[in-house]
Amino acid sequence: MKDSFWYPIVFMLIMVIIFAGILSVMYRFSAEKIEALQRDSYQQAILGTLAKAIAEAEGSTMEEILAQYPDSYQEYIHEQSVTGFERKIYIAEVDGDVVAYCFEIHGKGLWGSMQALISTSIDLRTILDFDIVNQHETPGLGARIEEDWFLGQFRDRLFVINPDSEEDVSGSYEFIAETQTPENDQQLRRVTGATITSDSVIKMLRDEINYIYNYFRNNEL
Amino acid sequence: MTKKEIFINSAFKENSVWRQILGICSALAVTNLMLNSLILGLGVIFTLALANFTISLIRNWTPRSVRMMIQTLIIASYVIIVDIFLKANMPEISKQLGPYVGLIITNCILMGRAEAFASQNKPWDSLIDGIGAGLGYTLVLIVISFIRELFGFGTIFGFQVLGDWWISWSIMVMAPSAFFLLALLIWAVNTYYYKAKA
Repeated sequence: MKDSFWYPIVFMLIMVIIFAGILSVMYRFSAEKIEALQRDSYQQAILGTLAKAIAEAEGSTMEEILAQYPDSYQEYIHEQSVTGFERKIYIAEVDGDVVAYCFEIHGKGLWGSMQALISTSIDLRTILDFDIVNQHETPGLGARIEEDWFLGQFRDRLFVINPDSEEDVSGSYEFIAETQTPENDQQLRRVTGATITSDSVIKMLRDEINYIYNYFRNNEL
Repeated sequence: MTKKEIFINSAFKENSVWRQILGICSALAVTNLMLNSLILGLGVIFTLALANFTISLIRNWTPRSVRMMIQTLIIASYVIIVDIFLKANMPEISKQLGPYVGLIITNCILMGRAEAFASQNKPWDSLIDGIGAGLGYTLVLIVISFIRELFGFGTIFGFQVLGDWWISWSIMVMAPSAFFLLALLIWAVNTYYYKAKA
């Protein structure tokens, strides 16, 4: 029977139905939980980039703001859309005053796209905090751009040097080896074995800050 | 063969990496961090054991002409189950492993054991063979990643063990070091185990 023409086709079909069925059922029962986890993780990342600015305005600590999630997120942060502006914007407000902005930004890494969050000062010239929420870089190499020592280098960095010029909006930052100690504020440590990924991060920041800053020079936020 | 012999054979004597030179791509790629290596190893053990068991369970009904398609279907299904499980229950680990969970599908050890063992042996023997082969693979990953992480970062499982005096060897973080270490491991096992035994 196994040598007949139809047997392998029918057998394959049955196996596909069984395994596709198992996977569909498993996914159906997990989808809601996965979506909720992803939503929480994303909101916590937004809160994480804005927590310092909120805490300073509120007179509390970053840890307290982060520990109060999701209440603190609901209380201080809201999403805003601006017609024609192609990025997600989250605004942190304390007692009705805007204390910082958070933008979802995108760039290209070595293997695929990168998705990150930057919080900026109200004048949009300084990066207050920076977090990478999605990337497809090599685990153990390029994926180390998510490590705190790397991300922390971009905190409180002035990226828009000259607010009167449309061109001069990126800093003159340069990378040095991970093992070296920066000699001045313009030097940043790159991830060992991930030169292209490290360069992609700074390119993404320059391009996106450039876009955001120049867009809102002529449009209201 | 007894079940103990099956296990020792697949894990050590006929180890997939140092004896059969299978699963090299991932052994080279993930081994600069011990945690990534351990998690990938656990994923492979789980997938390999259950895929072997299932393939063996239906071996008497599986037509020869479509057996490899069936094996791929089963392996891919278990990998997707691991992926969904990690996303739903261990999102941080899922994020850290990134594309490597999906790439278990392409690990040649799985197809190798399915063809060489599971399609010709009983389900429980195949399950043990899968666990043994998976453990043997994980052992190699852990040994290589231990050396790479220690010399490359001065850490073990992310914990700093070498002080500030230690100057990290950048080469250990990059892929070429995995080639050297894997070659040294294969040489050492051949010299001190197989040739000594012969």
